[in-house]
Amino acid sequence: MSARSFRPVMSVATVAVAALGCYLVSLRVAAERAGLEEVESRIVLAQRDIRTLQTEIGTRGRLEQLERWNVRVLALSAPKADQFVDGGYQLARLARPTDEVDLTAPVVLAAAPKPAPAQPIATPVADDDADVAASENATQNAPAPRAAPASGGPASMMHVASYRVSGREEPAVSTARPLSRKSPAIVSATTKPAKFATVAKPPHLPGTGHDAKASSHAPAKAGVARDEAPH
Amino acid sequence: MNAPTPALVARPERLRLVGQRRQILAVVHQRLMFGLIVYGAIIAIIALRLLWLAAFGDHAGRRGALSALIPPRGDIVDRDGQPLASSIDVWSIALQPTRVIGDKLELARNLAKLMPEKDEASYFAMIRSGKPFFYLRRRASPDLVEAVNALGEPGMALERTPDRLYPQTSLAAHVLGFTDIDGHGSAGAERAFDKQLSDPATRGTPITLSISSKVQQALEHELAAAMAEFSAIGAAGVVMDVHTGEVLAMTSLPTLNPNIAGQGSPEARFNRATLGVYELGSTFKPFTVGMAMDSGVVKSVGQIYNCPKEFHYGKVVVHDTHPFGRACSVAEIMEESSNIGTAQIALQVGATRQRAFLQKMGFMAPVAIELRERGRTLTPGTNWGEVATMTVGFGHGIAVTPLHLATGYATLFNGGVYHPATILKVDKYHPVGAGHRVFTEETSYKSRALLRLVVMKGTGKNADAPGYRIGGKTGTAEKIVGGHYTSASVVTTFAGVFPMDEPRYVIVAMLDDPKATTKTFGFHTAGWNVAPLVGRTVSRIAPMLGVRPDMNRDANMAEVMPFVHEKEK
Repeated sequence: MSARSFRPVMSVATVAVAALGCYLVSLRVAAERAGLEEVESRIVLAQRDIRTLQTEIGTRGRLEQLERWNVRVLALSAPKADQFVDGGYQLARLARPTDEVDLTAPVVLAAAPKPAPAQPIATPVADDDADVAASENATQNAPAPRAAPASGGPASMMHVASYRVSGREEPAVSTARPLSRKSPAIVSATTKPAKFATVAKPPHLPGTGHDAKASSHAPAKAGVARDEAPH
Repeated sequence: MNAPTPALVARPERLRLVGQRRQILAVVHQRLMFGLIVYGAIIAIIALRLLWLAAFGDHAGRRGALSALIPPRGDIVDRDGQPLASSIDVWSIALQPTRVIGDKLELARNLAKLMPEKDEASYFAMIRSGKPFFYLRRRASPDLVEAVNALGEPGMALERTPDRLYPQTSLAAHVLGFTDIDGHGSAGAERAFDKQLSDPATRGTPITLSISSKVQQALEHELAAAMAEFSAIGAAGVVMDVHTGEVLAMTSLPTLNPNIAGQGSPEARFNRATLGVYELGSTFKPFTVGMAMDSGVVKSVGQIYNCPKEFHYGKVVVHDTHPFGRACSVAEIMEESSNIGTAQIALQVGATRQRAFLQKMGFMAPVAIELRERGRTLTPGTNWGEVATMTVGFGHGIAVTPLHLATGYATLFNGGVYHPATILKVDKYHPVGAGHRVFTEETSYKSRALLRLVVMKGTGKNADAPGYRIGGKTGTAEKIVGGHYTSASVVTTFAGVFPMDEPRYVIVAMLDDPKATTKTFGFHTAGWNVAPLVGRTVSRIAPMLGVRPDMNRDANMAEVMPFVHEKEK
């Protein structure tokens, strides 16, 4: 037979192959569905097992049993009121490092360089300790060559800011008094005008930062003598 | 016969039959066509059915009805999802005597060894009888089942049946209840929600209770310890949320194990928190003062009443435990729990108003909760005269359940609105129960400082847990023995609310007939036994409930302190 006569056969064959292909597809779909259901049933079985195990754990670890263990062994209790903090900052504050004093470190006494020999004082004063205000006023208008209170060592380190009222008359001048008779805070008024007068390095600023008193005086005198080197 | 045709080279024509043959042929044709149509129809039906099945039908190998795990009875879980009641398959051992092969004596002996509750003779009798089925043990442990199986006797039937398990054993036993042998609930939540638990459509989702297991355990443990220490015959405790009415914990002692409910005593099955009614004594006084403040009778916490050592009203004499013997303010009346002062306040409120308030608080009817075991309250009823008003004012003419008391305190301290108590968790499917207003906001606010005063300086000092701002009221009520009140036997209660600067939870604890001990110096009043119990419980449960202990916060004591005498040192 010639090829032409195969046409109906070929068409039938094509249709048959198409039909078989559809059938294959549907078979594939069915297989996937079966696989899905297999998985689902395994899920259900696993859920059942999980439930059984949870029941067992729940019974073995029931609260009454935990309480018994707590009473006998663990002895845990609720935290008290002072064990609660407000937030991270408070917690960090609780854990901040504290200042430790090293007891084995050598003790260094505060020291200051020996003051330069100062000019002699004009007139020594003889008033008593209590008359601070008078002495303060007294030194306001002291004449220029009022020298720095001499080799009056500690007294020369004293300086207390005073409110100068210009034009006020000052009584007699007082010199530096020995420090031991006064508290350190008392004005040693003679130093102040001396500072105005001289350009010399003030002896009361030792040049190191150890002396707290000196450093507190520094701002008061900063405007006074700028050539000072505070530290 | 065919018509004669010329035998030529003509095209062959169709056969033309004539006459009868033609008719027969026509009939034959018709019949053939009919048959063809029938045949075609059948094939078409089969083909259509195949197409339909291909599109919508189940294919072979499908296992139905296992798409989700639906238990035979619904689960009950607590508010955090912890299972409190669930169904499990238990092994049961049964004997089928007709199927026994092998030595009957030997079998009887083995059975007696494995299950010694019956002796050998009775087992032998069972085997020899002709009955078809005997249950030997309905809940058998797997070891026992394995041992029985190892006997190798076909007459022993080992089967799995669904049963109810309560993994936490006696925790919240009265709330959960128990089921009977057929699997129907006979008490508690099992009975109240039986329909929902059995219906196949709804039993897939568990029932979420408002109970918190941790709070429940803490309350039960402390109550049990106190009950043992003071040799009380019973105890009850309730913890409630004041704003939603959820019951976070409810317990009644002595308790039972619902797994073996039949083995408990009737005392243990009795739910004292909802079914038992007690005269709760001085814990009623805040309600009386609240009623008075709402009615305008008491205009300020500093209002003065005369509090002599005894108060005579007609034939009735009212006594105080700590009599003042002088004029005292409302604050002091509450602080020292004065019956005399409260009686006067109650008289001013009057029977009508008192009854109306109690009605609105739900004290005249059984308590509102989903459980079925609810006790009926005892009230003066028709005999509500002035004497009855007085005694009800300080809590002695009326008997209510501890849950009533908790609901009442919740009403007083949440701003004055009554919400029914509920045992189900409040969420989007179950909103807060509809409520109605009972007290004003101002009364609710003023009561905070009053009750905080009681715990700071008054009879409830032992209930104070540092930082938790507990306020509350003690109550010691004499029991009626032989027709009259006796001071030897009391019911002590403490109703506490915390934290008092912004109340959130109420806790009620009750001890039935606590005895005095050496540690309490011979006293058996509420301040000695139930108040420290509440203090300990609150320090355990408050952190769980989100209440942080804070020493810097407290209720506004400036409301009451000006009206309280400082004690002479």
